Amino acid sequence: MSWTSPKLVPRSAPIVLLILTLAAAVSFAAVSHLVARFTANQQSRGRKLYAQGLAEASAGRYDDAIAAFRAALTCDPTNSQYQLSLARALRDSNDPRHLDEAESYLIALWQRAPQDAAVNLALARVAAHRGSLEDATRYYHNAMYGVWNADTEASRSKARIELIQFLLKQGARDEAASELMALATALPPDPAAHLQAAKLFGNAHDDAGELAQYEEALRLAPTNAAALAGAGEAAYRSRDYLTARRYLQAAVNANPSDSDSRELLETTDLILHNDPFASHISDAERNRRITAAFAQAEKRLAECAQQKGVDLKTATPAATPLASLQSLWTEAKPDLARLRSPAETDLPDALLDVVLQIEQQTTTTCGQPQGLDLALLRISQRREAASQ
Amino acid sequence: MSDPASSANSPAVRFQAPRRLFSTLEGVFNEELFFLILSVFIGIFAGLAVVCFRLAIDWMHLALLGPLPQTHSWRLFAVPALAGLIVAALVIHVFPGIRGSGVNQTKAALYIFNGFIPFRTAIGKFICAAIAIGSGQSLGPEDPSLQIGAGIASALGRQLQISREKLRLMAPVGAAAGLAAAFNAPISAVLFVIEEVIGRWSAGILGSVVLSAVSSVVIVRWFLGSEPLFRIPVTAFKRPAELIAYAVLGIVGGLASVAFAKSIGYLRPRLKALPRWTQYFQPALAGLLIGLIAFLGAPQIMGAGYDSMDQAMHGQYAWKILAVLALLKVLATTFSFVSGAPGGMFAPTLFVGAMLGGAVGGAVGDIERIFFHHPAGSTGTYALVGMGVLFAGFLRVPMTSVFMVLEVSGNYEIVVPVIVANTFSYVISRSLQTVPLFDMLTRQDGLILPSLEEDREETILRVEDAMLPVPATTLSAEDYVDANARRVQDSTDSSFLVRMHPSGWNIISRDQLQRLLREGKGEHTLASVLPLQSLPSLYPDLPLDSALRYVNNYPLVPVVNRANSRQLEGVISSESVFKKYGSRGAEEVPRPT
Repeated sequence: MSWTSPKLVPRSAPIVLLILTLAAAVSFAAVSHLVARFTANQQSRGRKLYAQGLAEASAGRYDDAIAAFRAALTCDPTNSQYQLSLARALRDSNDPRHLDEAESYLIALWQRAPQDAAVNLALARVAAHRGSLEDATRYYHNAMYGVWNADTEASRSKARIELIQFLLKQGARDEAASELMALATALPPDPAAHLQAAKLFGNAHDDAGELAQYEEALRLAPTNAAALAGAGEAAYRSRDYLTARRYLQAAVNANPSDSDSRELLETTDLILHNDPFASHISDAERNRRITAAFAQAEKRLAECAQQKGVDLKTATPAATPLASLQSLWTEAKPDLARLRSPAETDLPDALLDVVLQIEQQTTTTCGQPQGLDLALLRISQRREAASQ
Repeated sequence: MSDPASSANSPAVRFQAPRRLFSTLEGVFNEELFFLILSVFIGIFAGLAVVCFRLAIDWMHLALLGPLPQTHSWRLFAVPALAGLIVAALVIHVFPGIRGSGVNQTKAALYIFNGFIPFRTAIGKFICAAIAIGSGQSLGPEDPSLQIGAGIASALGRQLQISREKLRLMAPVGAAAGLAAAFNAPISAVLFVIEEVIGRWSAGILGSVVLSAVSSVVIVRWFLGSEPLFRIPVTAFKRPAELIAYAVLGIVGGLASVAFAKSIGYLRPRLKALPRWTQYFQPALAGLLIGLIAFLGAPQIMGAGYDSMDQAMHGQYAWKILAVLALLKVLATTFSFVSGAPGGMFAPTLFVGAMLGGAVGGAVGDIERIFFHHPAGSTGTYALVGMGVLFAGFLRVPMTSVFMVLEVSGNYEIVVPVIVANTFSYVISRSLQTVPLFDMLTRQDGLILPSLEEDREETILRVEDAMLPVPATTLSAEDYVDANARRVQDSTDSSFLVRMHPSGWNIISRDQLQRLLREGKGEHTLASVLPLQSLPSLYPDLPLDSALRYVNNYPLVPVVNRANSRQLEGVISSESVFKKYGSRGAEEVPRPT
């Protein structure tokens, strides 16, 4: 052939290039076939290793899972599912050194598909592990509004709930409250979902929101004992004792073994029966309640002093707050006789002040009271809150 | 009579159009253009070969060590040694000349063997390096890819019977293609081939080298994707004070490079000098050592180690472990390389650099935690910079080292730390290890090849070095002959420079002036009697070599100012030039052999 002659260029160059092109095309096809076969084998091996990794991860053996996922990735380096699973295993392994690598995988995946909700959720969890409020919030939001492969609404709610839990853990109550509002409007008609939301409102110290969610759950399932108990407790915390009694009574009826609700119901009853400031009682009844509270306060003071080894008869008011309160109580006692006088309009408040001071101080000194003392403490707290 | 339709269909007529097309195309090609197009084909073939080479290594690794090698597994212990025996037998009996990395062989092909690399060498390199690296020998696939590319290019050039001059250049063109494909980094490959294989900057070959490198990278990315060899961590350079830590990394890297190179330089000739039968067992012994290290808990040092580099860059190891891994890798690579197992030094260099960088970064982070409560830089950034540091110190390719890190990371924010650390490493390595690694290896093999580093160090003699002062007497072409003759009466010189109008210089001898007077031309201007062709002039900054072209033809050559060619800076003569060369020759120390 002429192209092998020493004077190659320029006489036979086109033929040479044509032959080279054909040779390149044939080689290309051969290598394509080779690569395709190799890749198919590798992918098959990768799938086995991936399954092994998933099994290890679900058994909580994260180090083995990581090794298996890594090996799967060496077989199929661009497989997003393997990368995501490896990142999750790295994150869940509770080894802080693994977080960097997990994040690196996830960021690579995120750059390829920023709308992928699963990747955003995984990134949010990494950020949450690091305690990075800003990043975690951003990725959780991306996950909420991202593309889910299945069960979109439930997955979005779960992501939001996770964000709320993270925000509460971080002490970001305002942000958590905003997310809770959004959550409440998008909940499906499912009592369990409302119960969960109610607990989150409770964690956020939003008693009204919590009560509303329990009531919504009760609207869907009126005899749900957990909802009844929760609603009673939420109403109790928000000092709506009448409502609390209604729900707690129903909770106890629905579940007689619910000792917590029963105890709370007893306290609620004591509050309702001993509150001197209740609006529907007569003056005589009010005076009786003040007198009873006054007597109970002295009893509580004596018990607390005994518990702390303080002799109230000999101790000077300057020596201990308990002695000071005893002195206050003794000074106020003669005023009880003047309760019936219509001119003494401020006297009930003054006497109750003494009772409440004693209950609060003894709580501080001797711990949470029980029974009527607890009821008096709650009454004092409600009165304080109302005056503020 | 013949039928017109049948004559139109006759073969002679049917092939007229393609022939005309070929004739037109034949006129288009010249050798330069043809060579450029050939470079693209070299890139394609080299790229395809490297794709197969990488598959072969992966396949070997899976077949020999399994997909999930476990520490304390018998395979880790036995496979490298057994594979070492097979490789040694192949190297000794079937493929002689494939020992080592292949960079020097390619360079020798360019400078000694007129571009000749036996195709058998390329095939042998492919097979043996795949077995060696796949079985866990601590070597990398890049340098063998370089030699495979060069081998393919050389074979193609020979097959096409191209000119000797072009055939010589085929090896580096193929080398760039092979390296670019293996490393997925065309710029670094081109720079490395220029710095280390060609050994000098040559504009003539640059286009071909770039074309082949780019086309091979396109092929590799087509088949294997554009994923980098390792995932690059988020890198950042936050405060200038960090440069101190990077300088420390450069110093540590420089010292490690020297230790690494010296250990290879010390052991290699000694092992080669052992009886021939021992060569059957040297790769196996190296494999046994590597297997032992892996068996005892450090399988990361096996093979190229890109997965471990990836993990080091993402903070997977404590800095003390990284330091130990760097030390073990130096040991393992030294034994693998000096045993004659075919494989490259690129990947091990990157590995050691990444581990050292990570170790320094981790230690700096711990110190920063004590003083500032949180570290400024990430371990990954230090590991990445560490790779460049070893490249600069161990392979002694400073330009490639910088561009390699930038190209691999795609992050120009770390260019300052890279330059600072690499400079320290390079300077320390040069001071403590005069001869670069690849030059040392070629000299151990009895070859003296040009080196860019030596070229850089060589002081070039310039015209100004041999320049004599401006002569006391210069003549003007506008003056009369008799006036000029009177002017030279008191001079002892025999020749005089003549300033021409409006520019240029000429020369006239005392005898010529006397003859003109005798011929009665005293009233003529010199311009009218001198030949029109003017004297060549030189500039002070030109290489002295350029003066050699003129000093034999003229007794004096003017050296003029570049801004004003009428302003004479001095003159040079053949005596002054040869005197300067003579004095330089006496000063120069002969190169070690």
